[in-house]
Amino acid sequence: MSATQPLSFLGRHGIVRYSIPLSVAVFLGAGLLLPWVGAGPISLARVWRHQAPDYEILLQLRLSRTLLALVAGGALSLAGTLFQAMLRDALATPYTLGVSAGASLGAVAVIAIGWETFLGVPMTWIGALAGAFAVLVLVIGGAFGQRQISAFSLLLTGIAINSVCAAFIIILSGFAGLSRSFSIARWLIGSIDATSYVSLAVLATVVLLVSALILAQARSWNLLAVGERWAASRGVGVGALLVQGYILGSILAAGAIAITGPIGFVELIVPHLVRSRISPDHRLLMPCAFLLGGALLALCDAIGRIVMPPMELPAGAVLALIGGPYLVWIIRQRTTREEI
Amino acid sequence: MSALLAVENVGFSYGSRSVLNSVSFLAEEGEFLALLGINGSGKSTLLDIISGFRRRQAGSISIKGHPQGELKRREMARQVSHLPQAIHADLPFTAEQLVGMGRYPHTDSWFESAEDHRYIREAMERTACWPQRERAFASMSGGERQRVLVAACLAQNAAVLLLDEPSTFLDIEQQLHCFSVLRGEARAGKLCLAATHDLNLALTYCTRLLVLANGIIAHDIRTAEAHDSKEWLSLFSDRLDMGTTPSGSPWVWYQ
Repeated sequence: MSATQPLSFLGRHGIVRYSIPLSVAVFLGAGLLLPWVGAGPISLARVWRHQAPDYEILLQLRLSRTLLALVAGGALSLAGTLFQAMLRDALATPYTLGVSAGASLGAVAVIAIGWETFLGVPMTWIGALAGAFAVLVLVIGGAFGQRQISAFSLLLTGIAINSVCAAFIIILSGFAGLSRSFSIARWLIGSIDATSYVSLAVLATVVLLVSALILAQARSWNLLAVGERWAASRGVGVGALLVQGYILGSILAAGAIAITGPIGFVELIVPHLVRSRISPDHRLLMPCAFLLGGALLALCDAIGRIVMPPMELPAGAVLALIGGPYLVWIIRQRTTREEI
Repeated sequence: MSALLAVENVGFSYGSRSVLNSVSFLAEEGEFLALLGINGSGKSTLLDIISGFRRRQAGSISIKGHPQGELKRREMARQVSHLPQAIHADLPFTAEQLVGMGRYPHTDSWFESAEDHRYIREAMERTACWPQRERAFASMSGGERQRVLVAACLAQNAAVLLLDEPSTFLDIEQQLHCFSVLRGEARAGKLCLAATHDLNLALTYCTRLLVLANGIIAHDIRTAEAHDSKEWLSLFSDRLDMGTTPSGSPWVWYQ
């Protein structure tokens, strides 16, 4: 493992044993404390007495966006963990594979047309899911035909998909008219905005259900993370498991992206840190990545609220400022290890 | 009593390129078979087919009398363990976690039981890597890695062990250790089938040699009878010759 262990006061076994309770504590702590962080102070006494505006700001605005960040960050982080296990590459995420770009294009198309809701469901969700699955079928379906999936060629394909989707998004915003193209631009940075508790509940239900299905296969992801032959000769049905993984991972990513916009880096930073500092065992890695990913996105959103008031820096921008340098650091570590 | 492993007329081709035409052999417990053949002769493909990773296009395979197709994946994994040739060396797992994966087909419980841990420890002790159990696989040398991977196959406790070039990238001492561990497993009642390019390693440790050429088992010889004919050597190179070591076992050299 890595030579530096920031949590070394607990010892390696301590970290492993307490990793889930600690992650739960961080997740709950983020949910309870971060709503209080923001441009204006909120008085606990006024909230207690249901007084305006503190009560409304806390419950209608800050609490709902903190909860959204927790769910969306967890979903993205778990999706990243899953894609990394399936492709055996620390850089494989819905973002780098182009699944996020497909979801973005789908959602942007819906915003540009001006559809808002369909039977109560925000249309961006349907657009994002359709876009994500279109990319999935094109990229990964194509790779499946040849049986051998090279992570390297998939990542290169992801770059191409990202560019094509970006081009289409520019074309769409050109046709969309001023106000819609502004909301497209705002959405594309990836921000956590206050949402209705209804859409939050729908998202949370879908995310928890899909996450449970993924987590139930944790032992199989462990074997797949070693290799397809390795997994197959130990009793894993590799083909079916991969199809299941790509579909579930894309639902998670598309669901989160539909509401928050294309937020990258959570799914890169958190799994990487948990894997190297806590455990690569997916039975621990997956729940910890979910909980800590949610907490990280909520934290970035809270930071964005206070760095330059009265303006808000979108959570996606805060994450990019942290995540960009971190990505460079991962790549540099990789090259030094390969040279040895 | 049916054979532990029965391979009959197995055929396989990659598109129009035929690799295996009609491969047949029987093997029993206690045997340590060397699967020999030049590059591209289909050794890895044959191992992939026996392990169930690739689907054969002709012929039949049965394990302990059960046709391969009738065995469920996990039942299959309790009978046959496969060590692939290339394992991604940059794995984040520790040695013990990797060996523990061998227990996958035996249990549905979320964490390994005390019994699983006993198998894991025993397997790691047999390949002499138990003291390294907490080390990251990525930080190990080639020889240490191979011990861990072989231990993972042993922890799976399957009757048939398939190994795809287990001695590649190992130094001589490690090669000898690897093959002596496998010979020990065969003597304890398992069937080991190892694809290898090292003829002398095969002659020293294996009980039987299967030479794959032109899509069939061109030669199937007991090691003890290997010097009777030099015909099988010419399938590898014209420059090979064979004699005996001072201790009387066959030895191959090139001129």
